[in-house]
Amino acid sequence: MQNKDLNILHNFNVLYLEDDIHLLKHTHDVLEDFVNNIYAVKTSKEAMNILLNKKVDVIISDILLENENGIDFLQQIREKDIYIPTILTTAHTDTKYLLDAIKLKVENYIIKPINIKELLNSLYDILIPLVQEKEIQKNIYVIKTISAITDSKQVDIVKYIINNLDNNNNFTASYTEIMEEISISKPTLIKLFKDLAQKDILVKVAHKTYKFNQRALS
Amino acid sequence: MSLKKIFIFFDNLSFKYKTSFLIFIIAGGMICIVVLSQISTFTIKEDFDTLFDNRTKTLIKLENIKDTYSVNIQYTLKDLKDEAITFKQANEVLILAQQLIDKNWITYKKNLDSKKSRLFITKFIKDFLINEEKYYKNEILKENIIINIDEKLLDIKTSLKGINIKDKKEYYAKLNLDISSISIYFTSLINYDLSLAVDEKRNTQKIFNTIMFFSFISIFLVFLFSIILTVLIINNFKTLHNTLEQKVEDKTKELQELNNYLETKVSKEVTQNRKKDIIMFQQARLASLGEMLNNIAHQWRQPLGSLTMIIQSFQTKMSLGKLSEKFVDQKVQDALLLADNMSNTLDDFKNFFSPDKTKSKFFIKNCLEHSMELSKYLLEKENIEIKLIIKEDIEINSFYNELSHVFLNIISNSKDALCSAIDKNDRIIKIIVHKYKKNIIINMIDNGGGIQKKVIPKIFEPYYTTKYKSAGTGIGLYMSKQIIEKHMNGTISYKTVTHKIKDKTNYSCSLFTIKIPITEEIGNKKVIDAK
Repeated sequence: MQNKDLNILHNFNVLYLEDDIHLLKHTHDVLEDFVNNIYAVKTSKEAMNILLNKKVDVIISDILLENENGIDFLQQIREKDIYIPTILTTAHTDTKYLLDAIKLKVENYIIKPINIKELLNSLYDILIPLVQEKEIQKNIYVIKTISAITDSKQVDIVKYIINNLDNNNNFTASYTEIMEEISISKPTLIKLFKDLAQKDILVKVAHKTYKFNQRALS
Repeated sequence: MSLKKIFIFFDNLSFKYKTSFLIFIIAGGMICIVVLSQISTFTIKEDFDTLFDNRTKTLIKLENIKDTYSVNIQYTLKDLKDEAITFKQANEVLILAQQLIDKNWITYKKNLDSKKSRLFITKFIKDFLINEEKYYKNEILKENIIINIDEKLLDIKTSLKGINIKDKKEYYAKLNLDISSISIYFTSLINYDLSLAVDEKRNTQKIFNTIMFFSFISIFLVFLFSIILTVLIINNFKTLHNTLEQKVEDKTKELQELNNYLETKVSKEVTQNRKKDIIMFQQARLASLGEMLNNIAHQWRQPLGSLTMIIQSFQTKMSLGKLSEKFVDQKVQDALLLADNMSNTLDDFKNFFSPDKTKSKFFIKNCLEHSMELSKYLLEKENIEIKLIIKEDIEINSFYNELSHVFLNIISNSKDALCSAIDKNDRIIKIIVHKYKKNIIINMIDNGGGIQKKVIPKIFEPYYTTKYKSAGTGIGLYMSKQIIEKHMNGTISYKTVTHKIKDKTNYSCSLFTIKIPITEEIGNKKVIDAK
């Protein structure tokens, strides 16, 4: 838990819905240090307004609001086909709400009084997939950019090797088999394998069998 | 010994058998006496008849014959001898006399032959019970006399037939002698018959004595048995009476004991009841305490959440190095404000539960508003709207906390009814206060559908509850009634009414009406709503 990099939260916007103004203010004061933007609102109407006009990554909502209900609000959002991960906070340990919450696929359910660490961790858990997705997207862009500016055949071969690795990171194929898949001249292919072997990336362990050494990459 | 045994046997017989025995004996004895008296009457009558027929009649016949001889024949003969009458006349008289004599004689003999058959019973008595004494009976003597008379009759007859005018004196003398002798025979026959009659009379006397003896015995026996049995029955009654008296005494004693026991029990129960009442008051207090605790919990939860957040904010700011003096000042100020609120909330409830037993002056509106404030959380949670309409605010001198309890109880009651019956958007409680004569009337209406008719008479009874669990111990309304009636001299009543509590829809509503008399002259009246 401690090694969680809470800095990633800085990139996200949070919508906070709570009817007790004191709690709203103080929680806002704490959370604003961790996230990009925190929209602290008192009613579901204001919340809906924010949702429609701003980019919101996570919703934190109290269940019992003045004259309304956080669960009902959540229902409205889902009906509008907006899927935003949600954390519910409540003073009730009522199972009735819990069941409703599970049906609406709520990410977490925090009992008041709110432990800020728990809240932050929960936010982290929810947001980390988004961060990772962004990271992967970035890498894809990098590879695509590299392949655009270098020999695309070599990139294709590397892709082919990585895609055909077995569970022990072993690659088994003959040159002929590779050439049947990808149109490449044999000397170019041999040169590429030699280069990879020199950099310890692909180590020959047996006939036609190579081990992919990922440590050599870093 | 055996008599004693029989006596004991009778004594041991059941009452029913004794009485039937008595009746049987009396009836049997009566029948016996009646039969015997009848028999004696009949026997005596028959004996009289016999005496008359057999004896007297025949005697008359004999007398007639005798008379005829002495008067008719002898006198005629004498006259004839003296020649006072003619022979022819004398002859006619003599023939007539002869005929008379023959006739009477034949009838007499006939009477002797025909023996009258006696009644069976008389015969039975005469044959078996008494020896007929026949001192004078002598059939041979009688027969002799009769034969003599027959001979003499024939003699006289023949003598008379051969009578002549010129007969000698001897002849008349002889005839007279014959007639005299026949008269003597007749006299002896009459004597004999008379003695027989005397005999029979004696027998009759005997029969009468015997029958009288038996009737006396039977009367005596009946009398004796009746007396014995009556004594037995009376004894029986006595013992019965004694046992009954004993039983009654025992029962009375038991009843008295029971009475004493009940008395002590009643007094015990009364004290226990008092204790129970006290316990009930405590329970009611505890029940509302539980409800209030919920309220406090909620009212505390919110500031507690904020306080927690403030405390954590120091930590996070510190770790981020953003903890400024200004921030700390700001947060501490906020925290103190929150703590102050929490403290106030506690004071509110503490006052509510303080065992304040003194009367105080207060406005009814304040009390109602306070009660509403205390139940606000529960009502909000169940989405119940509460309306307070005060037409005339009145200051009363009463028990503030207890009245507040009553309001809370009824509100809580309404809340339960509304939760179980009415849709979330239509739940309303309306409280209307007005003054009528010297009373404050507080009407508390909810549209919870009212209470079932068969339950209504029971709602103010202790430990009566229709609620499955909830806080309902079944004493809320009972306690409310106690407080209003005993402590405030007011009344509390319930009615199910149809009322347009909201919009124009008719709702079936519960209406609790509390009436509290205004005891003191209150000058401070505030007219809130002039309508």
